[in-house]
Amino acid sequence: MSREVKPIRVALAGNPNVGKTSLFNELTGSRHRVGNYAGVTVERREGDLADGLAASAKVTLLDLPGTYSLSPTSEDEALAYRVLTGEGEPAPDAVLLVVDATNLARNLYLALQLLELGRPLVVALNMVDDARALGLPSDAASLADALGVSVVATVARTGEGVSQLAAALAQAESAEHEPRLAAPGPDHVALCETLACLGGDSARARWLLTAGVAGTAAQFGATATELERLAAVDDAKARRACQELVATRYAEIEQMLVRLGSRRSDAGAPAMTRSQQIDRVLTHRALGLVIFAAVMSVVFVSIFTWAQPLMDAIEAGFGALSSSIGDALGPGMLTDLVTQGVIAGAGNVVVFVPQIALLFLFLGLLEDSGYMARAAFLMDRIMARLGLHGRAFIPLLSGYACAIPAILGTRTISSFKDRLVTILMIPYMSCSARLPIYSLVIGALFVTADEGASGDLERGGILLGMYALSTASALFVGWLYKRTILTSPTPPLVLELPPYRLPRVRNTLLIVYDRTADFVRNAGTVIVMLTIVLWGLLSFPRDQTGAGGEGPTRIAESWGGRAARTLEPALEPIGQDWRMGVGIIGSFAAREVLVGTLGLVYGMEADDDDPVELRRAIREDRDSATGKPRYTRLSGLALMVFFVYACQCMSTLSVVRRETRSWRWPAFMFVSMTALAYLAALVVYQGGRLLGYA
Amino acid sequence: MGRGPANGRSVTLLPSRRVLDRLPAPTDALLMPERTLAALSVGEAATVREVGGDGTLAVRLLEMGFVPGTSVKLVKLAPLGDPMQFEVRGYHLSLRRAEAARIRVL
Ligand SMILES: Nc1nc2c(ncn2[C@@H]2O[C@H](COP(=O)(O)OP(=O)(O)O)[C@@H](O)[C@H]2O)c(=O)[nH]1
Repeated sequence: MSREVKPIRVALAGNPNVGKTSLFNELTGSRHRVGNYAGVTVERREGDLADGLAASAKVTLLDLPGTYSLSPTSEDEALAYRVLTGEGEPAPDAVLLVVDATNLARNLYLALQLLELGRPLVVALNMVDDARALGLPSDAASLADALGVSVVATVARTGEGVSQLAAALAQAESAEHEPRLAAPGPDHVALCETLACLGGDSARARWLLTAGVAGTAAQFGATATELERLAAVDDAKARRACQELVATRYAEIEQMLVRLGSRRSDAGAPAMTRSQQIDRVLTHRALGLVIFAAVMSVVFVSIFTWAQPLMDAIEAGFGALSSSIGDALGPGMLTDLVTQGVIAGAGNVVVFVPQIALLFLFLGLLEDSGYMARAAFLMDRIMARLGLHGRAFIPLLSGYACAIPAILGTRTISSFKDRLVTILMIPYMSCSARLPIYSLVIGALFVTADEGASGDLERGGILLGMYALSTASALFVGWLYKRTILTSPTPPLVLELPPYRLPRVRNTLLIVYDRTADFVRNAGTVIVMLTIVLWGLLSFPRDQTGAGGEGPTRIAESWGGRAARTLEPALEPIGQDWRMGVGIIGSFAAREVLVGTLGLVYGMEADDDDPVELRRAIREDRDSATGKPRYTRLSGLALMVFFVYACQCMSTLSVVRRETRSWRWPAFMFVSMTALAYLAALVVYQGGRLLGYA
Repeated sequence: MGRGPANGRSVTLLPSRRVLDRLPAPTDALLMPERTLAALSVGEAATVREVGGDGTLAVRLLEMGFVPGTSVKLVKLAPLGDPMQFEVRGYHLSLRRAEAARIRVL
């Protein structure tokens, strides 16, 4: 056998929250490749056994999504089954199943299904530290006896047992065994008869039976013959057979547990005793919600305050880079292309990294500690009203910070349609990049001579109003889409509340790194390209006379400026002119760019942080013909409302493309949001005029 | 401690709905009053009789351990009254009231 050339491929299976990721990292020394499974957006991680561990053979690990079962009740489970049975790609040479020693009663269900498949199997009995502390049976040898495969006790947190596990994996290929089907009991008549109809008892027949009852057989790849056989079985009988099948497996597990020496006193949920005490506070009727609000606030305030200096530094860094390159190259078109196109584009990508990294750091810590499940538990009532799962709450809330990481965070939502609804809702949440626009407009147009506390109150109220509007709109849009273009029933909530555990920062950091690198690689390229296109729009055609070159005129004469001036008749009804039009086009690179672009239009170097001059210029700008102020409070309000709705962010659009794997949804998002933005601004401006606020 | 109202709510609200649900199938209901996990009060345990209906939810509930004969305890309700937190087969699972109503108990 050419062992050196062909590594042993091992698929890593297990329930969620059993320490699968920790064990994967221990086994691979945290080195792995990230990709996607063909055709779906499920993340696929593969890694080789770490050098120190690779004993006699080369082993490659493939991390499957965490599942409770292999019956096709969700995309993840169908995928795990496909990989394990070698559909679409060669079947793995062996399977490594991770089970949680503190909860064998449920974890062994997946073990029995794997034994049915008959693939070489190695079991990692993980969390034995907790099991020992709780006095639960944690003897690997007895479990190996009961299952008939090799079992290694491990503690993924500390690395205990990992080298023995690696040794077992190196020999896994030889652990071939016959498929072992838990025998139906004597009174399970429906099951026996139905399996006979489905071509005789086998792992596939059992899969088909559950697929039939779940109604997913056709969706998850049953053949025409199989579907015919299924159709021949009476529905009620199939239901009874399915119930008997699952009962058969659980009966087998109970026998095993008795043999393992679990005691009557283990009834209840020993692993949950401590967590239940913690939950007395964390999911308490009043305190639970207060603490949840506090946790979320800490998360978002930290994202704002910690990310801001980093983002400023990144912007300053790219600014310095572009000016020193500009100096080195001398003035010219190439220089502009490099500095304002390429470098600015790269800056537009990197500037998101702090927020993405921080959000994923927090999300990862919350997930690994077990709190994320509680968050879904607390918020599900509200999300269910919209027709969504409790898990959609946190990504949605993250939209207040930045849509990009929020959209990446929707990966925890298992139904694609619901994930899409959430993704479409997120850009309506007012992200931090809209804040500079709100404050520019409010600061420019909502100041009065007789300044007083009431002015502050009014300005605060307007800002709050914008956030309220954005939140209400996001919720409404979700409700609407869920009932129109993306109809699907409210996903059921079947959510494990795992024991609280201290998270390991290293595991979380690895995920943070993966997600951030993925963003830079995939969305990044599109963002850089779009920045260059936008630069082209605002800088061409170049002034032919050679006399100009001044910022204001050059922009006015550019394609973007001409487009804005052509569009002026459409901008007037919403209280804007071509200048704002250019700003709106320019802000497509990133909303905060509006400030800079307007600065260029008005021919000044606007300081992004405190554009005092720009504010004054906007306030005092007068129409040369009538002498009236060009911008009023009403037009300012209309502009802000426009930005509440407009999806003026190409980074968001490129991330949506990446996550939905087509341009269709980002295109839909952009068109619908822009149309809505225009309409809303129109209603505000024209409505306001009718009411006499000119 | 503060649990009273929640219990009261679950008891007063559900019977009427269950009565309505039961109307089309009176024979079965007369022999054995249909009680589901949704009707448990906090701290109460019951034994699963069957999971109703089909579809992915039915299969999933079975596979999460709600097979006939299993003992299930309602641990608590979420602060907003729904979902519910159950103890089954040594672990804790949360289900909405609507899902819990699919599981009939003895
Ligand atoms: N006590 C203990 N905790 C563990 C062990 N393995 C993992 N954990 C913790 O369990 C939690 C879930 O682990 P993770 O690897 O993310 O599980 P996954 O969801 O299966 O990928 C994390 O907080 C880990 O630190 C173990 O063997 N013993």
